[in-house]
Amino acid sequence: MGEIIRHGAYLPRPRAPLGEIQSFYGRPGRPRAKALCTPALDEDVLTMAYEAATRTLEGAPEPGALIAVSQSPPFGLRKLSATLARALGIDGVLPLDLGGHAGAGVDALQLAGAIAARDGAPALVVVADHVLSTDERVCDTLSAGGSAAFLVGDAGGYGRLGPSSRAGREVYDVWRLGTEPEPRYRLEVLFDAYATTTAQALVGLEQATERPSSGYAAVCASQPHPQTLRALGRAGVAPEQLEHTSFVGDIGNLGAASVGVALALGLDRAEPGQHLLALGYGAGEAIAQDIEVTGPVAAAATADQLAGEAIDLSTYYRWTRGRQAEPH
Amino acid sequence: MTVSAIEFSRLGPPKLRPYAMRCANGHLNPWWEHHHCYQCGSDTLTEQELAGTGELTNFTVVYYPPRDFLGQEPYVVGHITMDEGVLMPAPVVGVAPEDVAIGTRVKATLRRMKLGHEGDIYYSQKFVVDEDAQAAPSS
Amino acid sequence: MRVGVLGIGKTPHKIQHNKSLRDLAVESGREAMADAGIDPSDVQALYVGNVGSVGFNYENSTGLMVAHHLGVVPAGAVRVEAACGTGAWALHLGCVAIMSGLYDTVMVLGCEKMNDLATVEGTSIIAQAADSKEEYFSGLTFPSGVALTARKYMQTYGLTEEDLAHTSVKNHHYGARNPYAHLRFECTVEEVMRSATVADPLKLYEVCPMTDASSALVLCREEILRDQPDKPQVFVTATQMATGTWYAATDTLDDAHALIAAPAERAYAMAGISAGDVDVAEIYNSFAIQEPLGIEGLGFAAKGEGWKGAVDGSTWIDGAVGVNLSGGLLCKGHPLGATGSTQAVDVIEQLRGTAPEGMQRGGAEIGVSACRGGPGAVGALHVYQRLEGE
Repeated sequence: MGEIIRHGAYLPRPRAPLGEIQSFYGRPGRPRAKALCTPALDEDVLTMAYEAATRTLEGAPEPGALIAVSQSPPFGLRKLSATLARALGIDGVLPLDLGGHAGAGVDALQLAGAIAARDGAPALVVVADHVLSTDERVCDTLSAGGSAAFLVGDAGGYGRLGPSSRAGREVYDVWRLGTEPEPRYRLEVLFDAYATTTAQALVGLEQATERPSSGYAAVCASQPHPQTLRALGRAGVAPEQLEHTSFVGDIGNLGAASVGVALALGLDRAEPGQHLLALGYGAGEAIAQDIEVTGPVAAAATADQLAGEAIDLSTYYRWTRGRQAEPH
Repeated sequence: MTVSAIEFSRLGPPKLRPYAMRCANGHLNPWWEHHHCYQCGSDTLTEQELAGTGELTNFTVVYYPPRDFLGQEPYVVGHITMDEGVLMPAPVVGVAPEDVAIGTRVKATLRRMKLGHEGDIYYSQKFVVDEDAQAAPSS
Repeated sequence: MRVGVLGIGKTPHKIQHNKSLRDLAVESGREAMADAGIDPSDVQALYVGNVGSVGFNYENSTGLMVAHHLGVVPAGAVRVEAACGTGAWALHLGCVAIMSGLYDTVMVLGCEKMNDLATVEGTSIIAQAADSKEEYFSGLTFPSGVALTARKYMQTYGLTEEDLAHTSVKNHHYGARNPYAHLRFECTVEEVMRSATVADPLKLYEVCPMTDASSALVLCREEILRDQPDKPQVFVTATQMATGTWYAATDTLDDAHALIAAPAERAYAMAGISAGDVDVAEIYNSFAIQEPLGIEGLGFAAKGEGWKGAVDGSTWIDGAVGVNLSGGLLCKGHPLGATGSTQAVDVIEQLRGTAPEGMQRGGAEIGVSACRGGPGAVGALHVYQRLEGE
């Protein structure tokens, strides 16, 4: 099953003004987030993953495997997990890359538990993402990024992975053709799937654990999107369960790293005896994972990183569009 | 004009960890000295990984950066004397220029240095202020 | 050692978009030959100093190109390169050629055209040519490497930025009087302090401009010049070269001092003079801090006191030694391959008494040029003397 022995997260400091960005592009409506947590010019998925992993591994037992989860690895020919392992100085570990969708972090936790049980050494899960859009497709997943890491052992931790439940549904037009930088999708179809798959996964988890969704100290979800929030509400999840683990309204959508950062925030406040619900979803899939807090948590002060430092619109534009005038 | 193949052969693999070059007589040289120890002339040098902590012993603030650093100015770049004694030139990030001084304790972290002309990415070590060291009283 | 200076020539130092690199080289080369009263066919070897023509001008084989266009074919020609010390190295090779006895008359020519590319491209070429690319990769631009030296100097001797600003004031005073200089305006300490910071603590007025220029000298055996007593009897009496570290990381203040001091000691011995005998000096100062360091290395001041001469007048035109009465590189600019040869031309003009009014030091008989390359990689010392017939 697996137990979380340590956790940590890294949020880059710059905060871009989403409201101004949206009005710059002429998008109507209220911005979904106050700001975007955007990596600085010298940061990317690898360096953010390095930061989260370094914090998590401080004073911790050395892992035997490293599972890197990202939808946006910065390079095409390298294995993110292997390169990250070299950067961390743990070259000999089993390096595994996991991708697929925004909830893959939960898949990775389960995989880590299985590997830890098999190999007798903990496995490190690192989720890191940098969600970008292009000039042609301006959507609300503009430049936001972050990372989180979890060291999962066979025993002796504080977050025991319990039962889980999965739901999936076919969604239209999420295929990305090889030549396109972004997947094409019809927003309304996708969001509808968020709600239904979340609802199904929660029902499944209730059956497997005999615990209602309202019985969790916190729900740690990817994003969560308003459709997901409605489904959670209908399933009996109260606002208090999301209060400390929802950050998308403050700093934006962190892609595959969202569920990791949400879980880190949840674990930081958890007391022994409580249960957390990790909900990873996206692109027509949802996984609901029960986590039992079995002992005192080694808190990582993740919430302290939410504030950040404001940057202005022109700085954001320069950084993400790669255009920079030359001095003369 | 693409230069990435030139740089790949000259710079070698990315500096994913901070390291120095140790000669056969035990002297530590900066990471680029592959052929010749600057202190004794020894021609046998091997990589030695560093702990990553050190002291900022000199720095400047760059206002007119080279192409690869456009957008990051003004940035602090200086000489860090690593705890092992070797000098490492590198930027110090995550801190305002007025908040660093000669003597500030720093530690190495991974950052992306540049994007080559053919889409290749070079990583290396930059430094951040070592919060743990600042908190501890100096002896 | 006595190598005769038969002729000198130079072009203005400025942005010259309507002239090519070869145009500039031919201009200075022809002026030097005319001054020497020789034909191209009299040149037995040509040493062309050029650093970055591959990058700046997309052309290589500069020595051969200049040989062809100057008409010195079929004499041997070669391109010389030693970062910012290139021009001085071309001069050194020219002197060695004469001293070897293999040649009677040779030409030394430095040329560089830096403004064919946009400034940011040019800056990258300079970084390639004159600095360690490994440190550049870590964000240490060429100016920032020198900035670190300036900060060390200020810290070691307890100086302020104002103390160092006087060097720029002095250089600009003479640059304004030099019709060949790139920058021809005077400035005050306040204006230096207010100028934009390039790399803290270096400010814009403490950094040289990128310029296009060429300069040339015709050198000959001593007897050839002696046989023409109507020509100014100016000789190169010492030439000494040195290298230092190629990386700013390992360049200490002692290294910066030794880079000039060690060859200077040998050069003074070679010429049979001492530091106190020197009347004028052209000291490499693409960045202002290098002038005090050079003054100390040449023995004109103790360590940590080289900056004082610009304040108390002892390095101005009537002081103990006139330093950079041409306006230095700060005003002339630093055409990489030509700087060393232009320094020689400027000293020789002083010894001939032909420098423009306001720049000409009266009665100058002994001069020195100190050239530097890279952050601390090249040191080059030449001594020049006016020696009337013996």
